[in-house]
Amino acid sequence: MIDAHLLTSGIIFGLSLGSIFFLMTVGLSLCFGLMRIISLDQLLYYSLGAYVTYSISHATSYVWLGVLAGAVVGGLAAFAVERLLYRRIYERDITFSMITSFGMLIAGIGAIKYIWGLTPRPVSVPITAEVDILGTLVPIYRLVIIGAAFVVYAGIWLFLNRTMVGKAIRAGIENVEHVEGLGINVYRLFAVTFIIAGTLSALAGGLYAPLIMVDPQMGLDVLAFAFMVVIIGGLGSIKGTFVSAFLVGQVVSLGSLAYAPLAQMAPFAIMLVVLLVKPTGLYGSPLLKR
Amino acid sequence: MNAFRWWRGLVSAFGLLYLLRLLLPLPFANEVIIFSIYTIGCNFLLGHVGLISFGQPAYLAVGAYATASYLYYFGTNPYVGILMGVAGGLAASLFVGPFFVRLRGDYFALVNLALAVIVFYLTQNVLVAITHGDNGLLIVDRLSRTPVLDLSRPNQFFIFALLIAFAVWAFYKYLDDSIYGACCLAAKINENKLRFLGYDDRGIRLLAFVIANTTTALAGAMYAVYLGFVSPEITSPARAADPLVVTILGGVGTLYGPIVGAVVYTGMMDLASKFMSNWELIIGIVLVFVMLAGEKGIWGTLEPRLKRALLSPAAGSRPIKGASR
Repeated sequence: MIDAHLLTSGIIFGLSLGSIFFLMTVGLSLCFGLMRIISLDQLLYYSLGAYVTYSISHATSYVWLGVLAGAVVGGLAAFAVERLLYRRIYERDITFSMITSFGMLIAGIGAIKYIWGLTPRPVSVPITAEVDILGTLVPIYRLVIIGAAFVVYAGIWLFLNRTMVGKAIRAGIENVEHVEGLGINVYRLFAVTFIIAGTLSALAGGLYAPLIMVDPQMGLDVLAFAFMVVIIGGLGSIKGTFVSAFLVGQVVSLGSLAYAPLAQMAPFAIMLVVLLVKPTGLYGSPLLKR
Repeated sequence: MNAFRWWRGLVSAFGLLYLLRLLLPLPFANEVIIFSIYTIGCNFLLGHVGLISFGQPAYLAVGAYATASYLYYFGTNPYVGILMGVAGGLAASLFVGPFFVRLRGDYFALVNLALAVIVFYLTQNVLVAITHGDNGLLIVDRLSRTPVLDLSRPNQFFIFALLIAFAVWAFYKYLDDSIYGACCLAAKINENKLRFLGYDDRGIRLLAFVIANTTTALAGAMYAVYLGFVSPEITSPARAADPLVVTILGGVGTLYGPIVGAVVYTGMMDLASKFMSNWELIIGIVLVFVMLAGEKGIWGTLEPRLKRALLSPAAGSRPIKGASR
């Protein structure tokens, strides 16, 4: 029988892991929904965010400033990549965006190795205090991460449902030609979406940095989880990503209490089962290519 | 005449490949042949069936590890080892195939890539008792000498690899010309019409998936025997896009594209690794540029011109079979 303290901390750990997964993959999901591209370079912005957080917090000793700067740098990098590369491949087959972005991810990892070197870098935890939940001491920082994910989810929901640009993006997810016909500049919408995606991925990296060692391979390490989250949730669905991120987070966290090596494999089994029942993921729409 | 035409291209291509050995070092030639076998499955899936297979390293690793574990734990005959690798690849693709071929193109690509990462993780961390983790399986001392072609010697391995590659290419050429090949192409272009004509499109895709991934496992088995060593590096996520890139570099759906692509790509990597240690940066940039350059690839651009130049006008009017994008 699993001890109650272990269970509580396991659940909190899973929730924070799920929050990071959500922030990391929501960009992937948004980009697929609107632009029909698979943007694997989100994982590059994730690593970039973590590294900028490391550099800034090392220089100024303010971790939060580092997280903020990381998010901004991630957004800017995403904007540059969108302008320089994605403009040329929106019209192409989905294969092309996938391989191109994969190339960018690999090249970016090479660049990170070149700039920051191969050694893993530590980032200090900004809040070291712990709080008592059901008799178990839980680090407040993990609760902050969970809060951040919920705030981002609410923010995205408000943005997509209450603002004009957000409504245009939602309309674009349904039918891009009609939105263009209404005189809305779709390419500007694409750029906005991409910047949001890059910022959120970098934010995930920055927030996660204090809990792990920042190393060049971190983007590739989470690659499989990022995919499994978006596939289980359904590509293009924000709600699906939110649900499946927490599902995968819990499975990994609670599974590792039972048997650590297999915990990493369990999401894959869940993915196979979900795909067997519903080939488009939990909340994925059955729509084909536009 | 017709039979000769059928073989002419194949024989001349592999004749050229044999000549390559005289010009370039042996390890390079061996690498190129194995790499092109590795790529042809992906080329078939992408160019003829319309499936983006991002997970080829998974099947490569299955083939390599099946061969290596047989040679490490049970026998010493490399031929039997390669057969075990092919059988392993067949079993693995039969196991995951029914799940995967139901999926839409984009999901198929992502799930396959996830599978590649999972296999990497399995070989590195979970099945350590069998795979020895990052240390890998060293089988080079265990290969027994075989009478006709001794696979433990690189120059005889080259002959063997060339023969296998020839057989694989003849098989894929036969597939292209058969009714089944036409069905695959139809599944790529319009699956609704194919279904309407009474064909089982999932069955067709499943068969294509199994054929292609078994070929990839064969390449993995040959890697294991050739290098005498297998480690999780073989399915490293950083190299997951390699077969796709070589396919697109060579020309999607063309018969000789994989060979041309493998020669160019392997050559590029060899040169690059001489000048820089940071190979990830180079692979990434090459990938992006290959993607931006276009869809036809090297062989796809060269082939029509070569045909026009080499064949008489009458023979040149024969329509080019196979897929074109």
